[in-house]
Amino acid sequence: MNRKPKTSALVIQTIIAIVIAIYVLFPFYMVVVNSMKSTTGIVNDPLTPAGADFKTFIGNLSGVINNDYFLFWKAFACSVVITVVSVLLLNLFGAMAGWVISRNQKKKWASAIYFTFIASMIIPFQVVMLPLVANFKKIGDFIGIKMNYSIPGIIFAYLGFGGAMTVFILTGFIKGVPYDLEESASIDGCSPEGTFFRIIFPLLKPVIMTVTILNGMWIWNDFLLPSMMLGLDGEFKTIPVAVQSFVGSYVTEWNMIMAAALLAMVPMVIVFLFAQKQIVQGMIDGAVKG
Amino acid sequence: MNEFSAGRKAVSFLILLAGIALLVGALICDGIASSGGYDFGGRGAMLVCGILVTIAGIYLFPTLKHHRTIVYGLFLFPLLFTFLLTVIIPMCFGIAYSFTDWNGIRLTKVVGFNNYIAMFRRPEFIWSIIVTFLFVLLNVILVNVIGFLLALLCTTKIKALGFFRASYFLPNLIGGIVLGYVWKFIFNKVLTQMMNTETSMLTSSGTALIAIVVVYIWQYGGYIMLIYITGLTGVPADTLEAASIDGANAWQTLTKIKIPMIAPTITICTFLTLTSAFKQFDVNLALTNGSGSVNFFGNYITNGSEMLALNIYHTAFTENNYALSQAESVLFFIILAIVSIIQVRTSNKKEVSL
Amino acid sequence: MRGKKFLTVALCAAMAVSLVACGSNGGGSNGGGGSTGGSGKGDGEVTLLNGKPEIDTQLQALAKKYTDETKVKVNIQTVGGSNQATASDTLKKDYQAGTMPDIFVAETNQFANWEGMLADLKGEKWTSNTDVEYVDASGATIGYPYQVEAHGMAYNADILEKCGVDPTKLTSYSAYEDAFKKIDAKKSELGLTAVVDYGANNTNLGWSTGTHLFGHYLDAGLAMTDTKYIDLLNNGGQIDKDRMTAFAKFVDLIQKYADKTVAVNGTYDDQTALFAKGKAAFVTQGSWFGANLTSNDDYKKNSFKVGIAPVAFIDGINTILGGPSSYWAVYKDGDVDLAKAFLQWCSEDTAQQILVEEAGLVSPFKDCKYTAKDPFAAAVTKYMNDGKFSGWHTFIKKDGLQNKTGQVFQDFADGKLDVDKFVSTMESVCKSYYAS
Repeated sequence: MNRKPKTSALVIQTIIAIVIAIYVLFPFYMVVVNSMKSTTGIVNDPLTPAGADFKTFIGNLSGVINNDYFLFWKAFACSVVITVVSVLLLNLFGAMAGWVISRNQKKKWASAIYFTFIASMIIPFQVVMLPLVANFKKIGDFIGIKMNYSIPGIIFAYLGFGGAMTVFILTGFIKGVPYDLEESASIDGCSPEGTFFRIIFPLLKPVIMTVTILNGMWIWNDFLLPSMMLGLDGEFKTIPVAVQSFVGSYVTEWNMIMAAALLAMVPMVIVFLFAQKQIVQGMIDGAVKG
Repeated sequence: MNEFSAGRKAVSFLILLAGIALLVGALICDGIASSGGYDFGGRGAMLVCGILVTIAGIYLFPTLKHHRTIVYGLFLFPLLFTFLLTVIIPMCFGIAYSFTDWNGIRLTKVVGFNNYIAMFRRPEFIWSIIVTFLFVLLNVILVNVIGFLLALLCTTKIKALGFFRASYFLPNLIGGIVLGYVWKFIFNKVLTQMMNTETSMLTSSGTALIAIVVVYIWQYGGYIMLIYITGLTGVPADTLEAASIDGANAWQTLTKIKIPMIAPTITICTFLTLTSAFKQFDVNLALTNGSGSVNFFGNYITNGSEMLALNIYHTAFTENNYALSQAESVLFFIILAIVSIIQVRTSNKKEVSL
Repeated sequence: MRGKKFLTVALCAAMAVSLVACGSNGGGSNGGGGSTGGSGKGDGEVTLLNGKPEIDTQLQALAKKYTDETKVKVNIQTVGGSNQATASDTLKKDYQAGTMPDIFVAETNQFANWEGMLADLKGEKWTSNTDVEYVDASGATIGYPYQVEAHGMAYNADILEKCGVDPTKLTSYSAYEDAFKKIDAKKSELGLTAVVDYGANNTNLGWSTGTHLFGHYLDAGLAMTDTKYIDLLNNGGQIDKDRMTAFAKFVDLIQKYADKTVAVNGTYDDQTALFAKGKAAFVTQGSWFGANLTSNDDYKKNSFKVGIAPVAFIDGINTILGGPSSYWAVYKDGDVDLAKAFLQWCSEDTAQQILVEEAGLVSPFKDCKYTAKDPFAAAVTKYMNDGKFSGWHTFIKKDGLQNKTGQVFQDFADGKLDVDKFVSTMESVCKSYYAS
């Protein structure tokens, strides 16, 4: 009975699915269509492709790319550097810390660290944002390394904020890795750090994937932290900050805003097209385990 | 026991000493510079070198007995260090600031609980708490129901399932700021024209809040759907088959078998939407910036669509009231902490009963 | 085993090198900034935070010229124009971050935030050349006037002429009522969308209604130094009900003849587009609007004469609001000497030519021989010379009040409030804002 659903039910389900898809994809369509129009074109008809042409599209795009507040390529490069370096370091340091914690889980200090990390996950960013910026300024002034408005500074902050979730997921996974593996390596004369890098780390591949996707999506789309650490008018901007700075400056021409939105969306959509399975799996695992 | 050669020992001690020397040197330079003396430009690099060389020195320390302990320490160091500086210390400062008159520029005195008292006397703040709770309640219900229905739809036998799943999930990839502006355009320009109305939904508090809910569901529904799909596909096929042999109809299968079996998934999704709805900020900022008027117990207030996170932001940066903002965020933290404790309790109970 | 160890060491070394590179970069660019002070930047750089997006291009040109002449680099940063990213928010974050600009824009009521942190510019050569610099209570000159602005009912002189309206007679409510009626009758003939181009959306234009239009309630018709209504307001947020009612009736008249969509939802660009196309006779913007007009394609194709009339909500009001709407202040811990030199240069001939002729600013300096090509400049200068400027006391109301009052204007435009409700709401909003 269940094996052969009625055709009529199938048709209705398909229609519902299509209607919802239209609703969900409608904003994307709006972005594409309206980034190809002039201001007057949008005022006359924001809905249909009438008035959209390729030349205006190129004009709008280059206007946005070269706009002093947006500077797309620079923002893109900043976002890539910040996201990639933060994610890589989080993976490495998170796995190291997670391994130490899970191999000492019976000891008091290890569980104290572990629970501090977990408890810190509920701290909303708002509590720390003002003192954080003030602190980083003072530290930066003192040690002579600029921590605010600088890329190493924000990566440092992401290591701090992303650490808890990363350690939590990785520790959970490493606990499940049998201890015998390490013991036999240790008997063979392998040093603890050697054991970790040669035996444990390669085993973490699937969970590293999850953590990479969760942290990557978060850092790439994050707005509040970079808006504080890099500033809306700073030298370096991530893409979300650049969009806010571009719109918030004085541009309220919707065709330009749509072009900016398009540019901001495209990298993520492309990545999604290529790594759809991994991203979906990563997001699910993150939700279920986190 | 000790099998290190004299040379090896000497080298490791030298490295350690060099590292410490660099560290101390850098710190001395910092001290000189910050007290107004000569500012040595290379002191930052010197400090970083000092830290790295010291770490190398500690790593190479000629001991077998304590080597494992050293490695453990070094492995924990990077994350603990960043965590301490970016979360723990600012958190302590943040709580401390909430008891002062800090205005972002100066701090003149400690005011005790005055900020906490002032906070509850502000109708704007009370309103934003109410709005946040309303928004959270509405969202948790709607996103979960819609996500679940989408999941049912996406586990049927219709064609192009992959396409539908991917497109429903797509909005979740886009950052809140960007999609906030896209939707602002839709509400202000497209919908006004389609409906032929003079004013957009975003100009009145009530409709603006509905707009934020719509955008939130649009952004989050697909993600929640994915998790429910995982739950639903985990329901064993033979259980379903047995039910259909027993003559259960679709509705009975759903309510008697599927929903009870995915109870843990429902818990996960509920808390996921709960915390993320509480923290809602980007969309709120881009879509309405909190504007809209409300008559609230005889007070005319102008932050009709402003939720807690945005209110905290505005209190600090628009009203220049950093200390008050800090007190508000401490309350925000307490609310989230309570939610999380309830979450942990409930999930633990569920696990026990399973 | 050995190999692995070697690899680890090599990895560490690679990381160290990259970290050191980061460190030294950061260290280099931070040199001399913030609390360290003293040592100076050496390479000669001045940063100016501008709050007027409409003159961004011209300031960039000014900066380039100064660099060409003196080899000192001037960075212009521009923020502002909407209440989502204002110069003062940016400055607070900059202060936290230790990246304060050397010169920054400050409105009158913001000087108090920076007490003790601004350089005293007393005795600079330019001070003898102007009367409108900002002097604080202790007698220190802390605000450099870089422009004079005015706000009133800006109008399209060509349309008024076609409709037989004499702008010089617009000094009473009834005169405005008649004028609006006359223009409204010819609306379709002249292809107008609305008689008045009014924008009151709080998010987009709260600064326009909440600060500028509201300023007419405080000052219109009063002498430059008369502080009667601002004193009342600053004393716990009190308002004069009769005056506010008259003002509300005038605003009501404006919005009756305005396009509701623009009034409730519109942005600054929507307002510009409407007026620049010649589709509205009046616009509730000030002299800065000239810069937007001259850069607008529609206006370039089809320019028209413009002027400014008083916001005459009480019979006989014949003044517009005028004076520096904001100043440039010099940060004490920045590079004060370079900043001072740059400001002096800005008051001199070469710079004045750019600031006046190209940026369209009205010069506060007495010996300035340029007249702005800006369409409003002549009108502003005439009011200034006739002594028909009222003060900009709207800038010394409590900071942030405009975000609240702007919402009242929006609700009024949206029809959620009537005249009486507008007055009572205005009163309660002001009182509660001053109380918090």
